[in-house]
Amino acid sequence: MASYFRDIYRAIKTIAIGMGQTWKAMFRPAITLQYPNQKWELPVNARGILFNNVDDCIGCYKCARICPVQCIYIDTVKATADEDLGKASMGNPIRQHLIRFDIDMFKCCFCDLCTIVCPTECLYMTDEYENSVFSRDNGIYHFAKYLPEEARALKMREVEADMEKAKAKEAAIAAKKKAAAEKAAVPA
Amino acid sequence: MFGNLFKKKRYLFDDEGTMVFDMAHSTGKYYDEAMKKLEVESYQGDEMVVNMGPQHPSTHGVLRLELVLDGEVVKKTTPHIGYLHRNFEKHAENIGYNEVIPFCDRIDYLASMNQDMAYALAVEKLIGLSDLPEKVEYMRVLTCELNRIASHLVAIGTFGLDVGAFTPFLWAFRDREKIMDLFEWLSGARLLYNYIWVGGLAREVPDGWFEKVREFLDYFGPKMVEFDKLLSTNHIFIARTAEVGILAPDLAVSYGCTGPVLRGSGIKWDLRKDEPYSYYDRFDFDVPVGAGELGQLGSVLDRYLVRIREIDESVKIIRQVLEGIEPFKDQDVKAAIPKKIRPAAGAEVYVRSETPRGELGFLIRSDGSDVPFRVKARSPCFSNISVIDNISRGGMIADLVVIIGSLDIVLGCIDR
Repeated sequence: MASYFRDIYRAIKTIAIGMGQTWKAMFRPAITLQYPNQKWELPVNARGILFNNVDDCIGCYKCARICPVQCIYIDTVKATADEDLGKASMGNPIRQHLIRFDIDMFKCCFCDLCTIVCPTECLYMTDEYENSVFSRDNGIYHFAKYLPEEARALKMREVEADMEKAKAKEAAIAAKKKAAAEKAAVPA
Repeated sequence: MFGNLFKKKRYLFDDEGTMVFDMAHSTGKYYDEAMKKLEVESYQGDEMVVNMGPQHPSTHGVLRLELVLDGEVVKKTTPHIGYLHRNFEKHAENIGYNEVIPFCDRIDYLASMNQDMAYALAVEKLIGLSDLPEKVEYMRVLTCELNRIASHLVAIGTFGLDVGAFTPFLWAFRDREKIMDLFEWLSGARLLYNYIWVGGLAREVPDGWFEKVREFLDYFGPKMVEFDKLLSTNHIFIARTAEVGILAPDLAVSYGCTGPVLRGSGIKWDLRKDEPYSYYDRFDFDVPVGAGELGQLGSVLDRYLVRIREIDESVKIIRQVLEGIEPFKDQDVKAAIPKKIRPAAGAEVYVRSETPRGELGFLIRSDGSDVPFRVKARSPCFSNISVIDNISRGGMIADLVVIIGSLDIVLGCIDR
């Protein structure tokens, strides 16, 4: 019987202590924010949506190679000898047309490895974090500044150049063979 | 020749020459044993099978428990895991040593720094990298201990939620938020940091960060006193938890339990103290163990109290780090990062370290290329969850919820 009443007394006492704590908390300022209207200020190096400043991008593929989830897609076309694409702001010469630089932000794991390896520091993470979209296609960010037709033309140029090279090679091999055959035929 | 081979498979003989298995006629000793195991267990009386999870709020993730219940009494618990399997180990065989670290973050997503630390220690031992800059070592200890506090805050908060206390949960998350803010300032991310690298740290420590840590510690001390008043010393809470989920010390050892689950049973085993790695031998701290002073030894309350006391010890370590790092503040944290990680062929290491949930071990084997040949992670939660059948048997189903909360499992850590 005594322990029964002692338990009741203890329970009331312990609840009173707890309620005292919560009572104190009532007079503290709120620590929550009304999110869509108010927002936290993010630190300078916060990891948000990736952004690529393509004017400085030299198309070195380093980011695509280190990405653990392979969400960066790059395609480049080599510049010809008479073209001058200038230099990146850090002095690295640009030698390729960057016809495709896509980042699938739905695949991205925000590990920050790509921005660390970037030699020209053109790829960086912004403080944007609200990237919800209505279609999955809109989650793929296109950064290349070439129009689709231009990109296709550049790609075709490369393919044609490759084909010409292959043709020249074939012709050279054929000429060599011919010469060898003639050489073999002359002493006979 | 082939006929013989086939015969050997069809009939199995033991050493004395008696047939133990006949495939064609399905007889023999082994067959009977196998059939006995396969036999559907016949339940008695009002026993029934109930599935708890995988989408149950108090299983702390996607854990499915198959319960055999007699009314409200739990007769048997079978955990079914694998719902969060992300193929970490196989995936790590295809990517470079540094690219594995973002995936290590995701093993135990509540204590990413500790996972990174364990992996970085393993790779450093594999390539024989030692004598890192003092700042790197101090920063590693500092971030790991901060993350230990954050992880334990989640553990004790959700444990309170499991026994029906809602306010401590919110208060624990409020304080954890401050640590997340510190880490966000430091590494850019709030949860999956990718901060501790092989041979160094990913980023330089921002100006004024240490002062903020000191401010946090000053803020945090009184909050833990409040937390204790609200929950730890609450008479109803103690009466609810002090006699539940008793894990005997020898049982804990034989199941391979580690971390607060093992220490709650009164066994003093902490890798930070017993096998010191990094700079842990330079700091003065205690290893809190459960004593069963309020109930039985190894109860869920003991595990809870061990976590509460470990938070205080972590605060102690952080204060010592902040003093110790003072002369080395100008060092470059990226100085010792190797340009290329290519261990010798056949090199193999197993390195374990103490995470908030117990021992995390990494076994890494190299074949001489720049991707690991094999990465095996020994997760503490997997061993800890295996004990659940033994300690929940005979208890109430409401106690099972409390027991899961006290084991503090993270399903990402179990399934990997």
